Amino acid sequence: MDRRGFIKTCTAVAAASLASPSFFISSLRAQEVEFKAYKKAILLKKDGTPLKPEEIDPEKQYLFFYPHRATPCILANLGKEIPPAEVKLSDGTTYRWPGGVGPKKSIVAYCAICPHQLSYPTPEFSFINYYPENIPSKIVKRGGVIQCCAHLSVFDPAKGGEVIDGPAPFPLTAIILKQEGDKLYAVGTLGKELYEDFFDVFKPDLRKLYKSSRKAKKLVDKCEVVEVEEYAKEVIRC
Amino acid sequence: MGARKLNGGAIMNLNRRDLFKIAGTGAVLGAVHVPSTACAVKSANSMLPPAKGNRVVIIGGGWAGMTAAKHLKKELGDGVDVVLIEKRKIFMSCPISNVWLGGLVDMEFLMHDFHTPAAKYGYTFINATVTDIDRDKRKVYTTEGYVDYDYLILAPGIRYNYDAWFKGDKKMAQLCATNFPSAFIPGSEHLALKRKVHNFEEGTFVMTVPPPPHRCPPAPYERAAMIAHVFKQNEVKGKLILLDPKDTIKPKGPGFRRAYEELYLGIVEYVPKAKVKEVDPVNKVIRTTAGDFKFDDANINPPHQAGDLAWKAGLVNPKTGWCDVNPLTLQSKLDPRVFVAGDASSVKGFPKSGDMAHNHTQNMVVKALVALLKGKDPLEAVKAPTNTCYSMVNGDPKEAIVINVLYDIDRKKKAPVKKKVNVINDRSSQLARSTFEWAKALYRDMFG
Repeated sequence: MDRRGFIKTCTAVAAASLASPSFFISSLRAQEVEFKAYKKAILLKKDGTPLKPEEIDPEKQYLFFYPHRATPCILANLGKEIPPAEVKLSDGTTYRWPGGVGPKKSIVAYCAICPHQLSYPTPEFSFINYYPENIPSKIVKRGGVIQCCAHLSVFDPAKGGEVIDGPAPFPLTAIILKQEGDKLYAVGTLGKELYEDFFDVFKPDLRKLYKSSRKAKKLVDKCEVVEVEEYAKEVIRC
Repeated sequence: MGARKLNGGAIMNLNRRDLFKIAGTGAVLGAVHVPSTACAVKSANSMLPPAKGNRVVIIGGGWAGMTAAKHLKKELGDGVDVVLIEKRKIFMSCPISNVWLGGLVDMEFLMHDFHTPAAKYGYTFINATVTDIDRDKRKVYTTEGYVDYDYLILAPGIRYNYDAWFKGDKKMAQLCATNFPSAFIPGSEHLALKRKVHNFEEGTFVMTVPPPPHRCPPAPYERAAMIAHVFKQNEVKGKLILLDPKDTIKPKGPGFRRAYEELYLGIVEYVPKAKVKEVDPVNKVIRTTAGDFKFDDANINPPHQAGDLAWKAGLVNPKTGWCDVNPLTLQSKLDPRVFVAGDASSVKGFPKSGDMAHNHTQNMVVKALVALLKGKDPLEAVKAPTNTCYSMVNGDPKEAIVINVLYDIDRKKKAPVKKKVNVINDRSSQLARSTFEWAKALYRDMFG
């Protein structure tokens, strides 16, 4: 932004903030895209032992819940080294996503709540899924993408969750993973979070699953990783 | 009753009996162009105290209006006063209504309340009928009083143009609308059509496809599939004849054709190039460019136009029947303080559909208006929309097809352009699941 552009923006923001003080705060908040640390949580197998990076099959997709008990994440091994990426937002701002983890730097995780209209995997259906190379998307006709079949938003898991196609207004929230020895941990999120809206609109569903909103929102310190196909009765692909 | 000044400034003498006559016709048949101000009292009472900042009034709580109200508040919070005026007591969704017609979801799936989102997002919901729009004074008159606006979002939907067929013969138009309701505007007509379809035992059931542009281009073909599904389930001795003024089925033609051939052979007869020349609702005959068709029962769909309130506001191009708008901001070409959102506006390449209304309202109308209110360039602020449209073609098992259109903003042409079209014509139960999730997600967005 040049000086003139900056002054213009400041004037507009100042004028708007005179009308409403909350506008100023909310517009600043909207600019903030940064790492947010949550409880460090170890990724475990169903038997309770730590999940080793090499046990993550590149032809499958996995699910765990982090940072809250009810907030789902997709875990995938993209099968190749995934370097860090600059993630672009539609307003032109960018943030840096650190890339894959594991011995091949190929393992990534994203919040499995669609940034468009919040579709997420339930025990009944999973509308938002990772498409490994062996299961290409019918929409973009290739694998290696995360796609939501509600309104056909397609995301790039190799580029920090950037939007490839469809109506999603911003990228998937990245889940930041860390490897220590041969153990994997989730440590926080990067990108715009949707948890507030998620807990609001799905309140009735989450109460059925977790008894109360309070229990659904509980922060976790360990995550059981399962195949999506084991969790949802039907995986919806398109 | 004495003389009353009408909207256009004309003086009209009406006695009480005439007034009832007109009111009755208007109520039964929106298509007959009765100046409804004749039956409305222009109330002098302001319904709301003056707004502290800018006030945006939204007329119409359909897909466009509900989207506008929520997203304006979401973007600007207390920085804008948003008022939504809607005449209906309850929201009924037109998208998914064909699936309901086929008996695959219950009515509750389609119904939503106006109160929860208004309370949640902080806009004012006024349940009243708009009687007049004074664009010079920037006032919207309703049956309950008037509201001042700084900007107006007009989202009146469509109205039926029976006049194109009946040329002023109001009695015949009324007969057609009453006996063979179109059900492209949600409400009583849908219930009437469902009874017809589910009660039909034998004979010929005719359905006409409205001439383009009409609300929801694939809707007639989906409806035909759902009616055929009911006929198949009920072992009806008869068929559904689908009269289409177009040369071929569009969009998702291969998907619909395959459904008719593979699922409903002998039940659906598709007739292309069948432009309606005359409808005789008494003798039950439709004369078309592809021949005359006698029917036992029918779903007769007249041409569509912009909704009544767009005409009342004087913003319709009479040559097209739709509102000319800036293709990026959807501001009326006649009044930049009025945005025409949803089906009433005419933008090249945009179909008239719930998803398109939702998308262009969120990405174009709201973004442009927010920029205007912040003193920025609205043309720079708009984002490219998308349009995703599922059609249910089988009821047992539930199977659907889908089209997804991605647009780009051509900044030089200052217009949206199609970037990519994705179509899946292979029907599947996965896409049927997605159809329901598509709807639920949009209802979540609009109704909280």
